[in-house]
Amino acid sequence: MKLLKKEFRLCMHPTGFFMPLFSILVLVPGYPYGVCCFYTTLAIFFICLTARENHDAAYTLTLPVSRNDAAFARILLCVCLEAAQLVIMALFIPVKNALGAMPNPAGLDAGPALIGEGFLIYTIFNIIFFPCYFRDINKPGKAFLFSSTAVFLWLVLEIIATYTVPFVRDVLDAPDPAKAGPQVLFVLVSMALFALGTWYSTVRSGKAFSKVDLSL
Amino acid sequence: MISDRNALLSVRNLGKNYPGFRLGELSFDLAEGTITGFIGRNGAGKTTTINSILSFIRPDSGEVLYRGIPFRQKEHEIREKIGFVSAGMTYYTRKKLKTITEVTRSFYPGWKQDIYKKTMDMFCLSEDKTPAELSNGMKIKYALTLALSRGAELFILDEPTSGLDPVSREELVEAFLRLKDEGKTILFSTHITSDLEKCADRILFIRAGKLKADEDLDGFRRSFRIIEASDPIPPELAAVSRGSCRTKDGYTVLVSHADAAPFSGRDAALEEIMVHLEKEEEA
Repeated sequence: MKLLKKEFRLCMHPTGFFMPLFSILVLVPGYPYGVCCFYTTLAIFFICLTARENHDAAYTLTLPVSRNDAAFARILLCVCLEAAQLVIMALFIPVKNALGAMPNPAGLDAGPALIGEGFLIYTIFNIIFFPCYFRDINKPGKAFLFSSTAVFLWLVLEIIATYTVPFVRDVLDAPDPAKAGPQVLFVLVSMALFALGTWYSTVRSGKAFSKVDLSL
Repeated sequence: MISDRNALLSVRNLGKNYPGFRLGELSFDLAEGTITGFIGRNGAGKTTTINSILSFIRPDSGEVLYRGIPFRQKEHEIREKIGFVSAGMTYYTRKKLKTITEVTRSFYPGWKQDIYKKTMDMFCLSEDKTPAELSNGMKIKYALTLALSRGAELFILDEPTSGLDPVSREELVEAFLRLKDEGKTILFSTHITSDLEKCADRILFIRAGKLKADEDLDGFRRSFRIIEASDPIPPELAAVSRGSCRTKDGYTVLVSHADAAPFSGRDAALEEIMVHLEKEEEA
């Protein structure tokens, strides 16, 4: 908890506070809503970038903490932002539908399945970004390039799937309240995958960070 | 070498290999309540040694003992006792010192707020400033304040006086001597040897990753003499030379004290010893 508090007070980048608010874009018709998650991953990249510029590792490693804990705290901070983004999105989805739902031609409609999609995007991001970042904390750009490329490929596949894959087209991308049950199940499965993927990422990140030589 | 019982920190056979550089099996001790100067030219291995001691880099061999306890075994507890200050380290430049202090304090149950206040006042530091608003000397003083307030016993200083004006350097040297008076131990890495002449008890001299000297300062200085020589250097002097440097009037030649009797010479300054020994290696 002390390390998480330190992350919030010393490492948090201003974009970390407002990028999750971009979830409000679910109110915009015909928008690829999965991109809202990308803005939060961009904030995570900025946090890691400014941590490098502020010599955060040099400070953290003089504290009585292990490298494993330091890596865990950074990932936990990022998971908090990801969760905040999805919560805000979940709050605006009913608003969007109250204002008049219409089919989204650019990916999933604003419905429960969109939250599941968000969990899957963050799972992909976390599995790729953090282990790569903690192998060399001086190169967050490299980790972000790999992870955001994977996220964008996933977004393209998702948009294509809303037209071509029957389950996605007819169940996940359907505004029909009768499909809410399977969509909620999809959210729960995605959430479980997110938890598993992020745990795996944390373990790999901790191992990578423990081995690396830090030129401070 | 100091006996293990008196050593606060013991480094044993510390080694690290990089492409093109090898830190070779370093062993030395730091006695409690002393200031040890760690000298050597840029790239000699000073920072690699310090980074290995602090586990910022993982050494390929050897171990570091703190009061006889392996660093790896009780890393958290030992870290609490070590204050690390580096001239090149400037963290969270836009955060107020107050914020940095509050976060730092939360990690140390034994934090001494009275010492913190006293030291901040002594160094004329304001909590409302950010590191970006402090001079290099003040940043180092702030880092020392944090280390003191959490009860550090050992201060590892990596080039703390580099880039500072003479007055600021003098102030810091005085601060180091005050720490020593309080029983603190200091490892002071620098290539500004004149700072060490004012405060160091012992000298570690590293060259190309190898420890070439581990002696008390006075003994180290007394073991050499500087001889002024014409150009060319007389053969009998060249035969005992430990390194020579060109001057406008000829050469200065470093010789071991034992070989200096036939020549008229003077005491060697620490910087002269370091420079001449480097020249010997190059020759």
